[in-house]
Amino acid sequence: MLRFLEPIINGFLLGGLYAVIGIGLSMIFGIIRQVNLAHGELMILASYFSLLTLQLLGLHPLLTFLFVLPAMFIFGYLIQALLFNRVMGKGMEPFLMISFGLSIILQNALLLIFTPDARSLQNILVIQSLNVYNLFHVPLIYIVNFAVSILVIGLLHQFMKRTYLGWAISASAEDLSAAKLMGINPKRVYALAMGIAAVTAAISGVLVGMTFTFYPHSGTQYLIIAFGVVIIGGLGSLPGTFFGGLILGISQLAGGHIIGPGFQLLSGYIILLVVLTIRPQGILGRG
Amino acid sequence: MSAKRIRFISILLALAVLLTIPFGDSPYVMTVWLLIYVYAALASMWNLLAGYSGMISLGQQVFIGLGGYTLAVLSVNYGLPIFLSVLLGGMLSVIFAVLISLPIFRMKGVYFAIGTWIIAEALGICFSNWGYVRYGMGMFIQPAYKLSMSSVYYAAMIICIGSIALVYVLLRSKLGLALMAIRDDDIASETMGVNIFRCKFTCFLVSAFVTGIAAGILYLNAIFIQPFEAFGIGWSVKLLFIVIIGGIGTVEGPIVGAVIFVLLQQYLSEYVGYNLIILGIITIMVLFFAPKGIIGTIQNRFRVGLLSVRRQ
Repeated sequence: MLRFLEPIINGFLLGGLYAVIGIGLSMIFGIIRQVNLAHGELMILASYFSLLTLQLLGLHPLLTFLFVLPAMFIFGYLIQALLFNRVMGKGMEPFLMISFGLSIILQNALLLIFTPDARSLQNILVIQSLNVYNLFHVPLIYIVNFAVSILVIGLLHQFMKRTYLGWAISASAEDLSAAKLMGINPKRVYALAMGIAAVTAAISGVLVGMTFTFYPHSGTQYLIIAFGVVIIGGLGSLPGTFFGGLILGISQLAGGHIIGPGFQLLSGYIILLVVLTIRPQGILGRG
Repeated sequence: MSAKRIRFISILLALAVLLTIPFGDSPYVMTVWLLIYVYAALASMWNLLAGYSGMISLGQQVFIGLGGYTLAVLSVNYGLPIFLSVLLGGMLSVIFAVLISLPIFRMKGVYFAIGTWIIAEALGICFSNWGYVRYGMGMFIQPAYKLSMSSVYYAAMIICIGSIALVYVLLRSKLGLALMAIRDDDIASETMGVNIFRCKFTCFLVSAFVTGIAAGILYLNAIFIQPFEAFGIGWSVKLLFIVIIGGIGTVEGPIVGAVIFVLLQQYLSEYVGYNLIILGIITIMVLFFAPKGIIGTIQNRFRVGLLSVRRQ
């Protein structure tokens, strides 16, 4: 009874995780007007970093945030300061290609260090599930993911609205020359923004590592999911990203339930292509 | 002797040397050259899109996979002649390009790049769930064993020279002028009567056709095709490296890039795992210090070009 509700509920919860996967990509597009193709690798880098601290210190995966997030912030800051800032204002292509180059470097470096074996951040949450009135089962980890994503999106929203740095970031995104006149150093703002984007990527990376297995090459798959979320919702729109995550999550699990598990990713891609064709700026995006 | 004559003779000499390579009976040297040819052809086609038409595609593997699978299915399952299958692979790529052009041309810039990539990923999933092409297990292209190495070599050479000549002729034609006008100012060129859609569409179809055929020749050499490899993003990575290193938006760039890429790949093959890292670092360095690539930088500094499309 009500078995059909299970993929929809789980897809909804999974969508929250997808929203966090996409949020960093969306933010960078909103601020710098560039697409970071190394976003998936930033996530997986954080997953491996979490794995390392977990093995060394024996912490719960969620506690590794304490180490992973600051490290990823610094990493994000540095790649923007050392690599991307050099090609700012030179159009779209150099940024795309440098981030692509970076993603290849990171991917293969992870492959060298950690071998291609499947890894996961083992925790008890994965095997437990919530039984809702004997109607359907919801894995506990999905609920944790969803809660964390709501928290991340809420915090990011408040950060952008209430802090000086958030204002500086929005100001540089809205009118760069006016922001410069007000004494904002755009290169520093961009670097900080990339740092924050890397932190959101790291959060999603750890959650993904707790929920699924990951490989050095997993980044590509999650980059496509991030694109999906961001394109369905509209590049650069925060509420849109959340909405996009839910649509993608539900369509994947519902599609997988109806057509067959092999087509789970495909049904997400098809929704994505349809949105790209009909409304390239996204459902909530501005023209 | 005029510069034009020197150019003509040097090209002829180079061709003569390359034609004699199969007589040197070193299969290794022949394979290396074969890879250079195919990569140069594939990269020229990516360059035609990205360098001249402003369409950064991350989905050339769509046509690589289709070309390879057409060859595999037609020659293995139906026993069609091999080179006919390769040619039909190009045809099927064009048909598929026409089909996807409707949605894909609504996307611009980043969206175009992502859209093409997602189509390739979707095809990879379809092929790996399709019993007709033996799911994800892949297919052996046994009929290719019947071919002699040198015939594959010459086929690769023909597709390489053909694709470069095609790009050269296209750019020297009215279409080339229109593309340059679009690149410099798309609104102004449209006002002057340039049909932007038709120009880009033509380039897209040409690129699909040649990529499909070149992929067939590539798989004649590789013998084995597997969906996630054939439709994988790795192909676009390689083409991007080749064109960036050689020089985007130049006719010679993809050739120079292909030579460097293949030689580097051979040289670095002992250091498994490091080769892509090194290629990534080289690409970023080239983008920082010589954003126009090797050929673009040389052309800027010395104002010469072997295959420059500039009118004298």
